[in-house]
Amino acid sequence: MTGSVHALIQGVVLGILTGGVYALMASGQTLIFGIMKVVNLAQGALVVLAAYLSYTLFTSFGLDPLLTIPLTTVIMFGLGVVIQLVFLRPLKREDSAQLSLLVTFAVALLLEGFMSVVWKTTYRSTNTDYANSSWTLLGIQFTVVRVIAFVLSLIALGLLFLLLNRTKFGRAVRATVQNPMSAELLGVESKRVAALGFGLGAATAAAAGSVYGLLYPFNSGSHYDLISELLSIVVLGGLGSVGGAVIAALIVSTSSAVVATVFSPTWSSFTFFVILILVLVLRPQGLYGTVERGAL
Amino acid sequence: MVRGGVFVAALVALPLLGFEHWVLNLMIFTLMYAAMSSAWNLVGGFAGYPSLGHAAFFGLGAYFVGIWFQHHDVVTGYEPFVILPLAGLIAAVVGFPIAWVAMRTRADVFAIVTITLLFVAQTLAFNLDSLTGGAQGLAMPTPPFELARFEWPFYYAMLWLLLTSMALTYLSMRSKVGLSLDAIRADEDKALGVGVHVQGVKVLAFSVSVALVAMAGGVWAYYETFTYPQFAFDPIITIGMVLMCFLGGRGTLWGPVIGAFILVPGQQYLAYRLGGSQFYLIAYAGVFLLIMLLMPRGILPTIADRLRRRRAIASSSGPPPSSDVPPPSSGAGTNVPVPSGGAA
Amino acid sequence: MSSGNRLRGIATIAITSAAVLLLTSACAGTASNSTSSSAGTGSSAPSPSTTAPLLIGASVSLTGDFADSGKAVKAGYELWADEVNKKGGILGRQVEMKIVDDTSSPTQVVTNYQNLITQDKVDLVFGPFSSLLTIPASQVVKRYGYAFLEPAGGGPKVFAQKLDNLFFVQPAPVVKSGDVFADWVLSLPKADQPKTAAYAELDDPFSAPIAENIRARFEAAGIQTVYKQVYPAETRDLSPIMTKVAAANPDVLVSGTQSEDAYSQVKSLVQLKFSPKFMYMSNGANSPVEFPSKVGANNVNGIMSAADWYPGSPAPTSPAFVAAYTAKYGGSETDIDPSSAEAYSCGQLVEAVAAKTGKIDNATVISSLHQGTWPTLVGNLSWDAIGQPTGSFSLIQWIDQKLVPVYPAEVSKATPVYPKPNWGG
Repeated sequence: MTGSVHALIQGVVLGILTGGVYALMASGQTLIFGIMKVVNLAQGALVVLAAYLSYTLFTSFGLDPLLTIPLTTVIMFGLGVVIQLVFLRPLKREDSAQLSLLVTFAVALLLEGFMSVVWKTTYRSTNTDYANSSWTLLGIQFTVVRVIAFVLSLIALGLLFLLLNRTKFGRAVRATVQNPMSAELLGVESKRVAALGFGLGAATAAAAGSVYGLLYPFNSGSHYDLISELLSIVVLGGLGSVGGAVIAALIVSTSSAVVATVFSPTWSSFTFFVILILVLVLRPQGLYGTVERGAL
Repeated sequence: MVRGGVFVAALVALPLLGFEHWVLNLMIFTLMYAAMSSAWNLVGGFAGYPSLGHAAFFGLGAYFVGIWFQHHDVVTGYEPFVILPLAGLIAAVVGFPIAWVAMRTRADVFAIVTITLLFVAQTLAFNLDSLTGGAQGLAMPTPPFELARFEWPFYYAMLWLLLTSMALTYLSMRSKVGLSLDAIRADEDKALGVGVHVQGVKVLAFSVSVALVAMAGGVWAYYETFTYPQFAFDPIITIGMVLMCFLGGRGTLWGPVIGAFILVPGQQYLAYRLGGSQFYLIAYAGVFLLIMLLMPRGILPTIADRLRRRRAIASSSGPPPSSDVPPPSSGAGTNVPVPSGGAA
Repeated sequence: MSSGNRLRGIATIAITSAAVLLLTSACAGTASNSTSSSAGTGSSAPSPSTTAPLLIGASVSLTGDFADSGKAVKAGYELWADEVNKKGGILGRQVEMKIVDDTSSPTQVVTNYQNLITQDKVDLVFGPFSSLLTIPASQVVKRYGYAFLEPAGGGPKVFAQKLDNLFFVQPAPVVKSGDVFADWVLSLPKADQPKTAAYAELDDPFSAPIAENIRARFEAAGIQTVYKQVYPAETRDLSPIMTKVAAANPDVLVSGTQSEDAYSQVKSLVQLKFSPKFMYMSNGANSPVEFPSKVGANNVNGIMSAADWYPGSPAPTSPAFVAAYTAKYGGSETDIDPSSAEAYSCGQLVEAVAAKTGKIDNATVISSLHQGTWPTLVGNLSWDAIGQPTGSFSLIQWIDQKLVPVYPAEVSKATPVYPKPNWGG
């Protein structure tokens, strides 16, 4: 096939595969927003923390990062619950919308500081022996880690879907997202849901983080870039909609990769922003968000 | 009023008192953040819209001054200060349509838009390298001031910005604009219903706010003599502004100033003396969190509250009026607690 | 009394107390720092018979983006201070390093040098890490007339400032570090030379200019550019670019890189199964331990880079340096970051000036270093009027999974290998 078509297809493939990981990260973020109406600016830092955890488990104990995901998920879930209880719950009264934004940001900085103390600021990446291998199919390169990342993200998202739709907790979460007051009236303990929901968001960061560490070099400061990408994705998908976040992640990731491959990488980071602005101007509730009173 | 005047006079006289250069250096940055924090207050404190991208305009001002002097000469050294108002005007003009679009959304979406705005500005600075020098950075003209009084022009420029910002804040608090902002912050829909020119007032506040910040950026760039995209458009700058405003008290006249006077020397001290320790970032974040959790309205309103309660208890009449109900803002009060709900 | 007035009162008190605190510390700072130099000019010489410590200040990045290299620089400075103190110090004065953290921020670096010079009243200063921080710092240092020996600010804009007190402590301006590769390639027999070239360049003050320098020379010699791409610093995923490089099938790949992107480039090329005949990376590939660990030890052979100091360097003072370093910090020779050697060299220059002139004030340092050649760990250095060193780097190559100097002949320890072996070989 011709050069530019080849490049285009390669870009699309790359975008889709990477999109899976972003979908996973973004789903946690948008879930937290849906439950607590909090934009979690610490989501990027949680992903990086999870990456460090899986990196340490790999380098110290030789445990494959993919196998340690259940462990890191549990750890991060616990951390998420703790964060919510300690930093976000006390904010109930004062204008929590503004403050929780800044609180999560401060938590992100705190995590960054903690990570840079423990792991120093050297860039790390989890280098398993399959980290550099790739398959070729019809002339298109599929790197092993990206395919694994994609599959893993699908599995994790599937589990999340099951959790939200088939369990009592999931129903409570969805009810809270739709209408917190009615949910309370119907017996859902919104405080508990909030705490567990945040933990769940952090848990998705765990799975995503293990994969992230395989794909990219990271250090304690990597969360800044990550969070701005995630924010664009969740806004596009519609704040609160997990399905929206998944689709948005694929769209954004693919456009970005295509721009990088076909045109120039200098403008690929721009793609995120352009999409964000377009969404806000044309359809501010995103693809699947609800139109809020007082919004555009 | 008198006490405010004393403070201002002290600041004006400070360089004349013969302090070491490093003190003036510290004061330049303190005044810069005080001015910017005070400017941010107009949008984030009074209007209730937390902008997390003000640094975009800081960088805009910095680059404007830099680019201007690629094509013009500096002879006396004061030219960059002279064109500052132009930088401010441009920032206001750029900010106007942005505010128009972005402030139609909820507060948290507004925050997201402003964050991405910052990164867009940074990306543009990197990519339009024929204009901005790109990653290679942009050199400013070297200030020709003599060593002994080198910091003075910068110091007074920053002081001027701070006083301007405070004056604008004070004036708006005493005017219809201030009333409108209070109304918007309390309940935007109702304000609209009552006939407040919601959109116009918000956009005005934003434009003025970013103009001031841009001018600060211009002075900063000149003082640094060189600027790079990642430093001119640095999220840390916004975080600093926001944190100081919160610390001192949003929606108050002196709050941001107090916040800056506490945090800037504190942070530079921590970095200089304790440096080499990563704990400094943890300390910074920790302070931030403590403020949010323990003193969410900031120092000034909290202290004022406590004093009011103590006075009321001390007096023989009954319990104090509840301080959760904000007194109707007459524009004269500097203590305007920010009620929940905002523009969400 | 209205609550408004009361509030202003409180505010004034709070601000005034903060101001008083600040001023007190300012006065305290001024009073308690009574080392020899006077404030302001900084070039007055303490009398040679004084035994007060020689205070040398430096701001390095101990936290933030540049922290790893910043720490290596600090290690170099402190190691030198220890070593020179063991030998009796400089002109009988013990050296005391005052190293502060600039958190990789240019605002902080300006403050730091202001503080070091006017608050702590240091006698001499050394430079920070990276051109980004060196430039604002150098303006401050220039105002006070101090000499500025800096180990890590070698991008073109550093020298565009035309400062006569600045000395870049490396063999050549960074932009020229790739010249040695171009020299070697163009010295090959015509039939062996590459015909086509691709350039993948990181957009920052040093990496892209290095590659561009090489490109100018290659194009002048008739080597056709089949692909060129400059990518922004935050690009994490270099596969799209490497895909295009592979598609263009160049004979030589010239990469203007730092570290992370260098590793990413190599990993992508391995995954794409594309191996050019010649490959040069300006940075990243010269890292003896990091590079093989990040890209796979069996992928490194044949890749070339440039260095000023490397394990096994022929500089006469190198063995002593290595011994002292490993004694103080542990590890082995290959763990040493060249930034430490460059920092150490700053100290060596100060020692040399003192030994030669018997004086150590700033004016003497500046005038001495502008003449002659000075031996250091990173080579024999000499500078032009604006601080550009006039030497050249060494071309190093990975051979048998070790970094070996291969060109020019005076430093070469092995014959350069070409074409580059395939990945995994």
